[in-house]
Amino acid sequence: MSQELSSAELRRYSRHLSLTEIGVAGQQRLKAARLLIIGAGGLGSPAALYLAAAGVGTVGLVDFDLVDESNLQRQVLYDTASIGAPKTAVARARLEALNPAIRVVAHQLELCAANVAQLFKDYDLVIDGSDRIGTRYLVNDACVLYGKPLISAAIHRFEGQAMTYVPGQGPCYRCLFPAMAEGIVPNCAEVGVLGVLPGVLGTIAATEAIKLIVGAGAPLIGRLLTYDALELRFNEFRFARRADCAVCGEHPSIAAPADPPGFCTLEELRRVRGISPLQLAQALASAPAALTPISLIDVREPDEFETGHLPRAINIPLAQIEQSGQRLPRDHTVVFICRSGSRSLKACALARRAGLEQPLQLEGGLLAWKAAVEPSLPL
Amino acid sequence: MNCTVNVASPLRDYTGGAATVSARGATLAEILLDLDRRFPGMRFRMIDEQQRIRRHIRIFIASREAHELAAPVAADEPVHLLCALSGG
Repeated sequence: MSQELSSAELRRYSRHLSLTEIGVAGQQRLKAARLLIIGAGGLGSPAALYLAAAGVGTVGLVDFDLVDESNLQRQVLYDTASIGAPKTAVARARLEALNPAIRVVAHQLELCAANVAQLFKDYDLVIDGSDRIGTRYLVNDACVLYGKPLISAAIHRFEGQAMTYVPGQGPCYRCLFPAMAEGIVPNCAEVGVLGVLPGVLGTIAATEAIKLIVGAGAPLIGRLLTYDALELRFNEFRFARRADCAVCGEHPSIAAPADPPGFCTLEELRRVRGISPLQLAQALASAPAALTPISLIDVREPDEFETGHLPRAINIPLAQIEQSGQRLPRDHTVVFICRSGSRSLKACALARRAGLEQPLQLEGGLLAWKAAVEPSLPL
Repeated sequence: MNCTVNVASPLRDYTGGAATVSARGATLAEILLDLDRRFPGMRFRMIDEQQRIRRHIRIFIASREAHELAAPVAADEPVHLLCALSGG
């Protein structure tokens, strides 16, 4: 693609060309840029729309999901007619309609260690708008190891975060949060999210991308930006590169991007079956404990378990199930339990993988149990 | 003395949804213990069995990062409890 701007492009981008920080040279850099967006969801939608509109020459989108009706509250790439269609295909059509002069590449797949190198090699910078904490570490590690700038944004209910990593210029995501807390970091599907929130954070991510590409302004390097929509408050926290960072530190232990321990594909998570608190209460009440073929496995940490738990539950923390393939009862129906339903979801998926037939997950966790069945349960 | 604590969204199910709470203490350790008295279980989400700040949590006192529980907190300094978010 020629980086010269056509007369049509000069007209289309005239408001950029008037900015001395961008101008013709900056617009040509945007045209030459190859940017990959991980996750075509709440964050990816506004980021992709604005970057396509801005004239980023190649926009790649990674997502393996189909458009769901519940996405439409915030994922502004899609409309009602998109329901059931592959996200990246719909997104590509939408972005090409917005700006036919750019190239949009649809990667309808789930990002994992096996495909990240092949995928990243054709791009100059990455925006992470994924909705899984394990993917965030995979993306960060790949960006560090392959020398790609990364803009990372994340949301939860009414709060958002954003930071930027540029190789050799500052700390990475793993310097900020050295280890993940999979299962204790719920995603939007589990806890809800204000629809407009990813609009703010996705647009900030797009802003950072444009600044990096044209070389304007001060990117969020070594700064974590937080946004609280309820309080309408932005904060900024400075953080430094860690000498002991496992991927960008002095003696890195990570030499290649890897899937996190106990990694479950979204497909595996989707196959998990749940049981509501009321259904579980009825099942437990329907027969004496000795006769009821139900095992309750509480996958929270021991301290949490000691604070309060269901009478017949045993405690096997999720980490044990992830790391050692902890032996699980096979002659009972197993119900996995945690605080909010996130850790038990993963435990259930791992148990299915280990061969348990039809394990169940307590939907909404003990918080839902407390609300529906046992208000006095200490948590 | 009392100080203001800004609570990250994933920790707010302990505070009844409150984004900001007040806590008593002259050090981070005292403040977290005070929070745990009123919001049982909250401290454990941030501090592990070895009394270290968990690696997906960062705590700032005003603009200074707290690396240890003994970090002093002045009365007019807000404490910020930050947590890795994963939603997209």
